[in-house]
Amino acid sequence: MSKFPEFKHDKSHEYFDRAVKVIPSGIYGHLGPAEGLWVPVSKWPFYSEKAQGTYFWDVDGNKYIDYMCAYGPNVLGYNDPDVDAAAMKQMKLGNCTTSPSKVMVECAENLVDTVASADWAFFCKNGSDTTTLAVMSARAHTHKKKIIFLKGYYHGDFQWAQKIDYPGITPEDVANNVVVPWFDLDALQRAYDENNGDIAGLIAQPYDHGNFKDNEVASKEYWQAVRAWCDKNGVVLIFDDVRAGFRLDLAGSDHYYGIKADLICFCKALANGYNMSALCGGEHMKATVSGMTYTGSYWMSAVPFAACIACINKMKALDTPAMFRRMGTQLTDGFKAAAKEHGFDLVVSGEPALFYLRIANDDSLMLHQEWISECVSRGLFLASHHNHFMNAAVTEEDIKLSIEIAEDAFSVVEKRHPELKG
Amino acid sequence: MTDARTMAYINMYAVLGTLENLCELDDKAKEIISTLKKPVSLAFEVKDGPAATLTFTAKGCRMEDGVTKCDIKIPVSSCEKFNKIINGEVTPVPTKGLTKVGFLLKTFTALTDRLTELMRPTEEALKDPAFFELSTILTFYTISVALSQIGNQDAIGKASASYIADGDVCFAIKDGPAATIRTKNNHLVTIKKKPENPRAIMQFDNIRLANDLFNGKINSLECIGRGTVEIRGMLSMVDNLNRILDRVALYLA
Repeated sequence: MSKFPEFKHDKSHEYFDRAVKVIPSGIYGHLGPAEGLWVPVSKWPFYSEKAQGTYFWDVDGNKYIDYMCAYGPNVLGYNDPDVDAAAMKQMKLGNCTTSPSKVMVECAENLVDTVASADWAFFCKNGSDTTTLAVMSARAHTHKKKIIFLKGYYHGDFQWAQKIDYPGITPEDVANNVVVPWFDLDALQRAYDENNGDIAGLIAQPYDHGNFKDNEVASKEYWQAVRAWCDKNGVVLIFDDVRAGFRLDLAGSDHYYGIKADLICFCKALANGYNMSALCGGEHMKATVSGMTYTGSYWMSAVPFAACIACINKMKALDTPAMFRRMGTQLTDGFKAAAKEHGFDLVVSGEPALFYLRIANDDSLMLHQEWISECVSRGLFLASHHNHFMNAAVTEEDIKLSIEIAEDAFSVVEKRHPELKG
Repeated sequence: MTDARTMAYINMYAVLGTLENLCELDDKAKEIISTLKKPVSLAFEVKDGPAATLTFTAKGCRMEDGVTKCDIKIPVSSCEKFNKIINGEVTPVPTKGLTKVGFLLKTFTALTDRLTELMRPTEEALKDPAFFELSTILTFYTISVALSQIGNQDAIGKASASYIADGDVCFAIKDGPAATIRTKNNHLVTIKKKPENPRAIMQFDNIRLANDLFNGKINSLECIGRGTVEIRGMLSMVDNLNRILDRVALYLA
């Protein structure tokens, strides 16, 4: 008998039925059932009603401890009082105005003071806006056209960042993408030589946190060697810190690895859910970026800037990277112990702040999908094949409850698979 | 964009290959081949393209890759010409088996006409539930084989195949036909039966849904949300097969 009863999702399905009539695929993108890899969909909530701290409630009233954090933005906890107060205060003063608010300057100054490699900040809305600006800037700066990507890359969904076989993408859209394996310096040189040195930039996340595979962390030595290689060959080094930014190191993930990127992209954890992103960079890149034709209707809205300042200040006060490392380790150690108790080999990889999970008893990931779905349908929101995210609202009690639900879900899957006992 | 070589591989293995299933499942096809007194093998050999031999008996049809022994041989000078033969724009000329040309003109033509009737059905014909089911099942087999051909031949299909991990994907209609899409070193092979140990599963809930998906009336992402397309296992394999499936529609349109 399961200790935690399974949730029902009747209202979620009612909303989804309404949604598919008026929204393509009901919920598109990473928050939806297809890209979110909900297996089986019956175990997942589709729509939320409210959120607070590290929890959200679905439209059926089910409560979830959320380790996906809206896929990253929730870094301090949903409805963080300090961030919301700063945002509300700014809202009363003005948000989307003809002359940008002075808070934009204060926000840029805060980022420059916080991020080690930043001498300036350029604000947009989404991660893709910043990775696109970074790639354009690398080309403008070097007058070269090709960009090196590391295998399994994800830098947003704009055409250049997609793959040749994706719907709506032409071969020309991705003709200047050169893909090399992670952690292979010789491959970088080969790619450079094969393209006659026509390489404008190298864009990468801080470490290999691709999906469907154990995440592989980088070393300081690796990034220092890449930095040196970029310097030697005049290649602009772009750190895509959209996902990991501020969770490993408040001074930037490039700082975490002991280097300075030429350009660094931030989004998710920047303003605790208020919509903004930022491209930061060194002084030597500022003139190039100043000359770019690049803007958007809401990019200078003031409310997210106010939220961003409050968010960064609070992350500093709490030392969230240290907190996430400690709590992420505690949580995943608990998951591993619970797995072992029930005969499962749970592999935890990546950084504790962004831990990735995989049950290794089978090579099809079907057991893993069963376990994840049993967790979700009992109130522990995990993702099937994506890294997770820690947030500062998680308490010791939340971790204890999470491990209890995980253990309960393991027991459910274990009973369903007597063959695992051999 | 489609290319003639990929189309030729699809026409050979996916379209002509479906004659195997037609002869097994369709009463009219069974009647056509029942008159055969002894086996007849018919080989198509396309220059710089596919080559395969179809062997017909009174009980069925089987396709084998390549040309070794055959009663009737039709060499084709190019993939483009082979595609025209399949489209009925060019008449095939055998170089071997002229005495068996009657089989080509009567039996084989009758079978391919029947296949066309089922694969390119009229709206009126589809109102018959049995016809609808048979048409969908045959389309399923054609698509399942076309998937591999596109993954192996088409430039963009090859890009998708390059991301597929080794192992078997179960491609199926619930309580209906199933196929194995086997990947090894990014090369795809379709086997027209259910895999024993799939690494991933893509299963359509019913025949009607499969037909609607094949004809582009509904979208697979919406169906995944509704749970009417079941996906499980190494979903990266399914994801990349789905991208090839997109191109199947382009080639078979």
